[in-house]
Amino acid sequence: MSETTATRPAPKPNVYVDTSPFWEAAARKELVLQQCQDTGRFQHYPRPVSLYTGSRNLAWKPVSGRGTIYTHTTVRIPGPGMEGRIPLPVATVELDEGVRMIVNIVESDPEAIKVGARVEVAWDPLEDGNFYPAFKLV
Amino acid sequence: MARSDLVIAGYSETPVLFRSGRSAYDFAGEALAGLLSSTGIEKGVIDGLSVTTPLSESPNPFFSVYMCEALGISPTWLNYGGIGGCSATGGVARAMSAIRDGYCEVAVVLSSDAPSTSWRTNYAAFRGEFQDPVGVQGPPAMFGLLMNRYAAQYPLKDEALGKIAVTQREHALHNDNALEKFKKPLTMEDYYASRVVADPLRLLDSVMFCDGANAFLVTTERRAAELGIGKMVHPVAYGELTNVNGSDPCADITETGFSKIAPKLFSDAGMTPADIDCFQPYDDFTIAVLMQFEDFGFCGRGEGSDFVLETDLSYTGTLPLNTGGGQISAGQPGLASGGLNLAEAVRQLFGEGGGRQIDDPKTALVTGIGVIPYGRNWGTSAAMILEA
Repeated sequence: MSETTATRPAPKPNVYVDTSPFWEAAARKELVLQQCQDTGRFQHYPRPVSLYTGSRNLAWKPVSGRGTIYTHTTVRIPGPGMEGRIPLPVATVELDEGVRMIVNIVESDPEAIKVGARVEVAWDPLEDGNFYPAFKLV
Repeated sequence: MARSDLVIAGYSETPVLFRSGRSAYDFAGEALAGLLSSTGIEKGVIDGLSVTTPLSESPNPFFSVYMCEALGISPTWLNYGGIGGCSATGGVARAMSAIRDGYCEVAVVLSSDAPSTSWRTNYAAFRGEFQDPVGVQGPPAMFGLLMNRYAAQYPLKDEALGKIAVTQREHALHNDNALEKFKKPLTMEDYYASRVVADPLRLLDSVMFCDGANAFLVTTERRAAELGIGKMVHPVAYGELTNVNGSDPCADITETGFSKIAPKLFSDAGMTPADIDCFQPYDDFTIAVLMQFEDFGFCGRGEGSDFVLETDLSYTGTLPLNTGGGQISAGQPGLASGGLNLAEAVRQLFGEGGGRQIDDPKTALVTGIGVIPYGRNWGTSAAMILEA
């Protein structure tokens, strides 16, 4: 319940692919995701190629930050970086752009977190001053 | 695949132990020595080896070659299986192909791991940025997500999941290799009282990482006879699929790889689900068992809960389920996991089930699950039908 006040360790960027556009946008509280420029379709987590065509014609583009809860759980087991955050509401959110993200649900009544509920992006503060995308019920 | 002269002509399994203090090499040695002893073959006849990538030795990319050195085996065919809980059945299928292609004649499929002693795996990739920070740091949270989605689409009954756990525990009581801690009966009350770890997933829905090993001898009927081996089973069908619906980010996550491979599996075996005498499905979590009843056509999609409640799944029942207790009640020997279900299938068909022996089984369906991916169900689905 406290994760909007607790600051969390900042993930190390660019480990897997170049994610700097994601983190630069997050600093402005703007959600950008990888988009295949041949098909216009989004994908997440980011990939080294388009999931749809295999090409590297990819770009980071803004998304609406609105979506629907596809499924959810509450994590009750501890782990690194989760100090003070348990029990932790987690959901798979299907964005209106047709892509899913596993996220935390913040600033919301845990009892109201249901499959099909509408959500919008919120931002969790990180230790380094940046933000991590979370979602809240609307 | 269909019935051929290729066979599994022996198996061995170590006890499952928690924090044994021993290495994957040491367990592998115990499994190999057990296989040599139960089959009566000399180590020198082994010319093929399939080794499973273990969590405990994963920083060493040359583990399979180190294993050859450790065991004193000089194979002309070496496979290093990195599909987790599918590596045992997958290793048998690959060994059969290798024998068919003439690369070797007598192969051992060896899986050993000791993650409860030494956990050295680092998944890396995208996880540090996009998965671990939201608290989804292992399979339980991912399965909590899968269960709630399943429950949104189909009836998911706690009493059915509990029955799977209780039935398998009863079977584990007859298994000398099962983890000592699990050798006490489980009641539905115990199940309901079990701690929720990632809603609605309970601790008793879940496996526990332990240490252990298993090994299988794969060869031809003719070569087995030359080696003086009498007991053998025929793998008559194998199917495998990795990353089901992998280019559709909004795929239905209750649709698994098993549902895609099942029709061809049964067709290759010339069987239907009604021909299966025992079911030894990979059981990392009870929901995976329940979904596999549906995926393999023992019941319709969404009917898993009712099927479980209406079916006698005990070793004396109409569809005996994980008759050694499965991983949930025998313990998961790390990524040697899939070999535990396979060993039980071979043991039953050999008539060596002891206090849990099924009455004269002729067929078994064994499955594997490998790796839990981002927001889906499981990475690799593998299934094999064995015939006596």
